[in-house]
Amino acid sequence: MTAALSMSDAPRRAERLAGDRSALGRLAIAVLVILLLVTMVISMTTGASGASALNLVGSWFGGTTADPAALLRDQTVIYNIRLPRMILGVLVGAALATSGLLMQGLFRNPLADPGLVGVSAGAGLGAVGIIVLGTTMLAPLTAFLGIYALQIASFIGGLITTFILYRVATKAGQTAIATMLLAGIAIGALAGAITGVLVYVATDSQLRDLTFWGLGSLSGANWTKIMASGPIIVVALTASAFLAKGLNALTLGEATAGHLGLPVQRFKLAAIVAVAAATGASVAVSGGIGFVGIVVPHLLRLVIGPDHRYLLPASALLGASFLLMADAVSRLVVAPAELPIGIVTAAVGGPFFLWILLRRRNAIAW
Amino acid sequence: MIEAYDVSVAISGRRILEGVSLTAKPGQLTAVIGPNGSGKTTLMKALCRDYAYDGLISINGRDLQLLRPIEAATLRAVLPQQSALPFPFTVREVVALGLTAGLSGVPLSARKRLPELALARVDLDGFAGRFYGELSGGEQQRVQLARVLCQVWIPVLDGVPRYLFLDEPVSSLDIKHQLMIMDVARSFANAGGGVIAILHDLNLAAMYADQILALRQGRVAGFGTPSEVLTDSLLADVFDCPMQVNHTPAPGMPFVLPQSAARRDAIQTKVA
Repeated sequence: MTAALSMSDAPRRAERLAGDRSALGRLAIAVLVILLLVTMVISMTTGASGASALNLVGSWFGGTTADPAALLRDQTVIYNIRLPRMILGVLVGAALATSGLLMQGLFRNPLADPGLVGVSAGAGLGAVGIIVLGTTMLAPLTAFLGIYALQIASFIGGLITTFILYRVATKAGQTAIATMLLAGIAIGALAGAITGVLVYVATDSQLRDLTFWGLGSLSGANWTKIMASGPIIVVALTASAFLAKGLNALTLGEATAGHLGLPVQRFKLAAIVAVAAATGASVAVSGGIGFVGIVVPHLLRLVIGPDHRYLLPASALLGASFLLMADAVSRLVVAPAELPIGIVTAAVGGPFFLWILLRRRNAIAW
Repeated sequence: MIEAYDVSVAISGRRILEGVSLTAKPGQLTAVIGPNGSGKTTLMKALCRDYAYDGLISINGRDLQLLRPIEAATLRAVLPQQSALPFPFTVREVVALGLTAGLSGVPLSARKRLPELALARVDLDGFAGRFYGELSGGEQQRVQLARVLCQVWIPVLDGVPRYLFLDEPVSSLDIKHQLMIMDVARSFANAGGGVIAILHDLNLAAMYADQILALRQGRVAGFGTPSEVLTDSLLADVFDCPMQVNHTPAPGMPFVLPQSAARRDAIQTKVA
């Protein structure tokens, strides 16, 4: 014990310690910030119209030779279409990756993801409910909530499904993976059935709204959507940063996390609310975009390890980059039309998920 | 001091623990023995407030019910029986989790190196960079002990004694490491901390414990010094298996007792 005290005069400069991946975590965050900036530029400069963000930036400094009419068109395209779309992509990508990571930490299982286990379906039910019933049965509610109605309905839908899932799949702090996935299928199917009934009673114009929303796309991005979902996502992401230490403790199990001083019940509640808020807000503006929440945290865990203090910011950054890249691909492959982004993320995420399953099958511990 | 008075625990209507009282003073190692299902782990979980209980439990005179989780974490660290991790942590990262809560009592500048010191104490020098999931069961158990030690590294902090709760700390260890881990527990007590350990090995209990609590069917069957508790009649009663204390087998039948191990140093000896 005295040996520990004599360490106090050890040099403060930290040397590289075996098994300490915190330097790697910080490096990864720095690299991912740069990656995000690059993908943001790519997102701003690609699209069906030939609008050039470079010309626009050049015009601010008077250094462009482009003719004024083309410049005006570029300005419109960039301010009203590409910029909101880029910002929404960053917000939604970060929210999807973070909610996946939070859920994996909460369930102590790397296969948990709001899209896979029905939370997105629940959030979607909330959104469809407000689109279809918002003008009739729920009219007072939509009037009261204004532009936030869709977001809040999604949030409540996601919250209810997460609670049900947690109650069904977790017993004494242990989540049975099979129960969780099967319960997710059941909840997703139930939410899908109710959504189906709502779609059945929807009017033609509502059906149009539903179709646009349900495609899973950033194509409808506008400043109103950013104003509605952005604050919720920013608050959820900020709050999740405070959950990092608790999520680390929780990996040891609920009882041990409690012994380490974590107020476990309150913590789980906070994590569930953060998952539902991030999922709900992103589903409300972009429909169901799958697999971001499972691909991104999993890749990062392989590189920097499972310490949530680094994994949380890194996942948010890579989630944002990943979604912007997927969006760029969705705009380019069938240009001038565009693919729903959910198709792109599923095309990447589906095989990736199978690869995770294969790896786990061969790993030491299931 | 840990005091439990008339503690009972019922799980889904069934009484697991019935009117258990005990006192564990700082500076002492208290061993809890008893057959499977006698309530040893349940008692430990009540002491950790994992289970709701009737009766009174206090740590250093403070009612356990009134302690916030973070306060309890500064007063005692708990070694669980089994710990599987869902994510690929390195050994160092697992041990460092013990530093995230509670108070190690070590200055900030030295804290970064504490996992290495703790690992050295459990004979896992050089394991910091390995993956936890790739270690054997006994090695994982020792990693967890290193984590627990980090949480309460200094046994007496600002005059307040702290405690180790160990649930079968040597259950999957070889004999060398059994002795080594019991030495760690013993020296924690000798330095002024308190230890409560569930043990299955009666010889280790006799060697290391200042007092032994014997449980049978959720009730206290005996509580006192090793020589008071480890008697023919009490063992036969508690374990439902007739045994004789200090009885050597017939010539030609080899037997090995941990008491005969060559002592590395004097830290394992009881102070009292």
